[in-house]
Amino acid sequence: MSLWVDKYRPTSLGKLDFHKEQATQLKNLVQCGDFPHLLVYGPSGAGKKTRIMGLLRELYGVGVEKLRIEHQTIVAPSKKKIEINTIASNYHLEVNPSDAGNQDRVVIQELIKTVAQSQQIQSSTQREFKVVLLTEVDRLTKDAQHALRRTMEKYMATCRLILCSNSTSRVIGPIRSRCLAIRVPLPSTEEVCSVLTSVCKKEGLLLPPELAKRISEKSGRNLRKALLMCEACRVHQYPFSVDQEVPETDWEVYLRETANAVVSQQSPQRLLEVRARLYELLTHCIPPEIIMKGLVRELLNNCDGQLKTEVSHMAAHYEHRLQLGNKAIYHLEAFTAKFMAMYKKFMEDGLDDMMF
Amino acid sequence: MEEYEELLYEQDDFEEQFADELEVLAEMDVEPPKPLARQNQRTGDDIADIEHLLDDQPTTPKAKRQKQETGVVKRLFSQKSKPPPQGTDITPPSSPEQYEPSQTLRSASASLDISGFATIPETPVPAPSVVPPSLHVLRRPPLQGDFITVTDSSGTRVYLRQKEDTGPKIVDSRMAPNFQGSLGLLAVPINVLREQEAERRHQQVVEESQRLTELLTSSVNNVIVEPELEEEEEEESSKGVDDDGQTSRLWVDRFSPRQYTELLSDDFTNRCLLKWLKLWDTVVFGKERKIRAPRTDRQAPNQHTFKPNQSNQNPNRFKTKIEMTEEILDAELDQYKRPKYKVALLSGPPGLGKTTLAHIIAKHAGYNVVEINASDDRSAEVFQKRIDMATQMKSVLGANERPNCLIIDEIDGAPAAAINILLATLNRKDGPGAEAASEAAKKKKKKESILLRPIICICNDLYVPALRPLRQQAFLLAFPQTQPSRLAQRLSEISLRQGMKTDTGALMSLCEKTDNDIRSCINTLQFLHGRGYKQLDTRTIQCLSVGQKDQNKGLFHLWQEIFQLPRTKRKRFGGGFEEAPSSGGGAQRFQHILHLSSSSGEYEKVSQGLYDNFLSMRVRDPHMHSVCDALEWLAFSDRLNQMILHNQNFSLMKYLPFLSVTFHFLFAHTHVPRIKYPHSHHEATSRLLTSSYALSSMLADIPACIRSRISTLTLTLDILTLLLNIICPKLRPVNPQLFSNREKEQMHELINTMLAYNLSYRQDRTLEGQYTYVLEPRVEEVVRFPGLPPHRQLTYQAKQTISREMEQERMRRAERMMLQRNPAAREEEKKSSGPKASSNHQQRLENIVKQTTVETRPEKDFFGRAIAPKPERLQPSSLTGEKSSVLAMGRAVGNSDVWFRFNEGMSNAVRRNVYIRELL
Repeated sequence: MSLWVDKYRPTSLGKLDFHKEQATQLKNLVQCGDFPHLLVYGPSGAGKKTRIMGLLRELYGVGVEKLRIEHQTIVAPSKKKIEINTIASNYHLEVNPSDAGNQDRVVIQELIKTVAQSQQIQSSTQREFKVVLLTEVDRLTKDAQHALRRTMEKYMATCRLILCSNSTSRVIGPIRSRCLAIRVPLPSTEEVCSVLTSVCKKEGLLLPPELAKRISEKSGRNLRKALLMCEACRVHQYPFSVDQEVPETDWEVYLRETANAVVSQQSPQRLLEVRARLYELLTHCIPPEIIMKGLVRELLNNCDGQLKTEVSHMAAHYEHRLQLGNKAIYHLEAFTAKFMAMYKKFMEDGLDDMMF
Repeated sequence: MEEYEELLYEQDDFEEQFADELEVLAEMDVEPPKPLARQNQRTGDDIADIEHLLDDQPTTPKAKRQKQETGVVKRLFSQKSKPPPQGTDITPPSSPEQYEPSQTLRSASASLDISGFATIPETPVPAPSVVPPSLHVLRRPPLQGDFITVTDSSGTRVYLRQKEDTGPKIVDSRMAPNFQGSLGLLAVPINVLREQEAERRHQQVVEESQRLTELLTSSVNNVIVEPELEEEEEEESSKGVDDDGQTSRLWVDRFSPRQYTELLSDDFTNRCLLKWLKLWDTVVFGKERKIRAPRTDRQAPNQHTFKPNQSNQNPNRFKTKIEMTEEILDAELDQYKRPKYKVALLSGPPGLGKTTLAHIIAKHAGYNVVEINASDDRSAEVFQKRIDMATQMKSVLGANERPNCLIIDEIDGAPAAAINILLATLNRKDGPGAEAASEAAKKKKKKESILLRPIICICNDLYVPALRPLRQQAFLLAFPQTQPSRLAQRLSEISLRQGMKTDTGALMSLCEKTDNDIRSCINTLQFLHGRGYKQLDTRTIQCLSVGQKDQNKGLFHLWQEIFQLPRTKRKRFGGGFEEAPSSGGGAQRFQHILHLSSSSGEYEKVSQGLYDNFLSMRVRDPHMHSVCDALEWLAFSDRLNQMILHNQNFSLMKYLPFLSVTFHFLFAHTHVPRIKYPHSHHEATSRLLTSSYALSSMLADIPACIRSRISTLTLTLDILTLLLNIICPKLRPVNPQLFSNREKEQMHELINTMLAYNLSYRQDRTLEGQYTYVLEPRVEEVVRFPGLPPHRQLTYQAKQTISREMEQERMRRAERMMLQRNPAAREEEKKSSGPKASSNHQQRLENIVKQTTVETRPEKDFFGRAIAPKPERLQPSSLTGEKSSVLAMGRAVGNSDVWFRFNEGMSNAVRRNVYIRELL
């Protein structure tokens, strides 16, 4: 527990640093002792999990912080054994069903049912329901999501679901409509800065506000990342200087270089090099959607305003197909090739115009 | 497709019914002038041909064969004696129901048509109806015997007589519809026509025979014609059997080469195998090795005809290979005078004549062939038994009985256990003392155990995993393609003998269609012959749906075809095709690639190969349109695949092969493409797997409170890179005991972090023998990318320190845990760990000081007597020397802040003299 991220993480709703209004709302929500199913969504590093844990603590007291990891084995109807790790306290259970890959439906069906079907023994002292926290709901297969629908309604008496995801776009409508959706937006730059400063203060360090700003910008307002960056800065150099280098994640640098390679030359050979780089990214466990997104962002920075709409349109098209398909590399490369062709044509047209 | 085939069958009915007639007629047309023509255009080549025809078919074997055939007929007849065997006989097994005797109506209509239809061929119409019944019906064993014995000229007589014998009933059944059906369509009644025809034929035959006899007597080299005659006769007889419907012998067997010189396979391969086999002569026959003079002599005619051709075609392809093979063949024999490689392994696609070659060469070299093939039981025990029997048994029947040569056919299908047994047999070693010292009995026993007979293995696929060990120990001979020219020549010989009119172009196209598969060519030819085709041209063969092998070639072949524009095509087809390569050629290419890729079936692999290779093709594509198209198609096929797998909708699979076609049209080039095997996907998958394993093993042991906050995704995207930066603080390269408070705190934090995130350093030894510390689990590889500036790394010492400290911390924690669980132990622990608060070097000092205080107690000698300290101090013996030094040290420690300890011994490190003043 020595990373700043972990050390200075607020444990209750009252101690949150930003979105305080939302925190009070949440507090009020559980005040009466009951709440509907929740769908908490928002970008990574905005504090979704922190809020959820704060909520649970509000609901059950300090007991929820006594966590344990349980290894569960579920036997699918096809006799295939699925191993899955759950994190549980006495009051709640946290599962990431997408760990089970294609078999996540079975996890949903079996695991949640067993939890939901078991009644609490001492309902007088405890709440009469348990909470099941499902993370990365947007990565669930459609099958699993459909399996969830009925379970949500059927076991309402004994179990509340809190779904946690990055976006709602891949959560099917029926589930969205069964939940109270809570969006946790990213903190603003100022908020990130203030958090960084306060953490540094607690650590007994002096953080120049310029550096704090730079860190928060570089982290893309992802608070987790910002704190890690700040700590990395601290390890790298202390006392802080205003213009010190802020470490970045390697994959972002690599992706940027890839995008630059695409822009600088357009030929099949270059495409081959880019392919190698895309493979490299994929094998480093970077999800293809994120590669696509990062690539588009970098490419858009580099290309002319006229092309921007077309490029983003194309990107949307190819990302859609990427979701439909299986081999991400084909689609990523198809997008790159298309961009190359388009960019080349644009450049050549521009040249022609200049000449005549 | 099926409809077409049916149509084909319908049409062929008639021709089939009258196949034999047509055949005979064709023979009538073709055969008579043959001797003349032969005589006229007889070249040296021909002579050679006929010469070896002569010596491979001497008169005695022929007689035997005839006998055999009659035997077959006899058996057939006995089977069929009850139901009237009328039409069934000619039918190929594919559609027997059409010829059932009950279907008289059908045959009526058929013959109705035929009467009109048969006028089309240039042979006279009546002929079909005259001869066939006689031919059909009259083949009765006793009569058959008659027929064989009589000479050529009297053959016709027999026909006629036999027809009256047994024919009438059947002839009636056949003729009646014809009579009704014809209804005067023919100007002359069919009977008359038939008689006329018979008459004409008779006359012709008589004339022919007369001319032949004249020739025989007159010509000097009558030898040449005679076998021809005999041949014909024999064919006649065997055809008789054929015409009876039971194709008792395939042409493949009938015309299989019986001698070395007749082999169609590549000369070099033949020679190599023979050479290898001859290497065994020393041990098998006890002959000394000889110069290969006689062998070359023997081969002379064959070489003479084909050598230039070959050298033209592949001047440099086999050059190195040839040298290598020659080298192998010239290698010394081993201690038992066996060749270095005990096994020859022939490999090549089916139908090139591997088995034939092995058999013929073994026979040629004087061996008795023992064959084991896939039809035999090849379980380990049986295999062992068979091998032993073949290689170690001696025939006791005759003194000059030939030794065995084991041929293991189709070895690529054998189980691995069997192949291991074979290997064990090969490697069976004889004891070194077997030469002279051991007694005779023992020697004999041992002699038996080692392999002294050649083994030839034959396989189609050399790279079957089971064959891997054998490959290293075998004399490998890959079969090249049969040369189409040679094959076509042989085919034309066969067709000539069978009375089919062919031309070289047609035969060449047949060769091409079957990929120079000898067996397939001959079978197709026989099939066509049986179908009544008596004339073959290129067009027929190309339109025909038979003869095309439904084999799948290797993936490399497919990729090659896709990426290469066909070049040979233009040469092959006439002017018509050459002019329009874009239209006709395009469609043809389309079909060709489609056929190839759909027959290969491994769409996944194929598309992967295309994906990996298409960018390196030399295609001018300045606007990258074709690349875009190609990727579009790849993406499409990916989605298709996903759809197929997800919805189990396999009917969509038919769209997959079109990917290859697209690629062909986008990227095909005249250059020979250099194709790499697609590894990228597999590599990526395995690397992804390693990464995710590393991540999951890291996640597995992270404490729950942290684990609940991170997922794999956040770990890779946000945390890991920065975390690795964080755990690389700047540490002073000094002993951790000497750290300042702040540094200690930092260290403590670092260790806490690493423990919290389940990271540790593990000592590892690199290949060069250096020790390094690696981060475990290996998440470093997951987040680091090649080509980026390297991150700061801790030094070896720092890592060492960290890992040691971590170990201690871990132990401390474990202890604490234990204490928490078991509070009784806590009290004890408290006592013992009371003085532990001081840091390490202090402890050590204290220890030493303690030791010195201990030392100051009265010393005792070995026997426990107190010794006066004084003399000992003066004369430090080896035993007490150390103690005294420790003593001295203890005193020094007690007195000053600085102390050092000198350990006796030496080191191999660089030594130099350092004076104390240099240090000051």
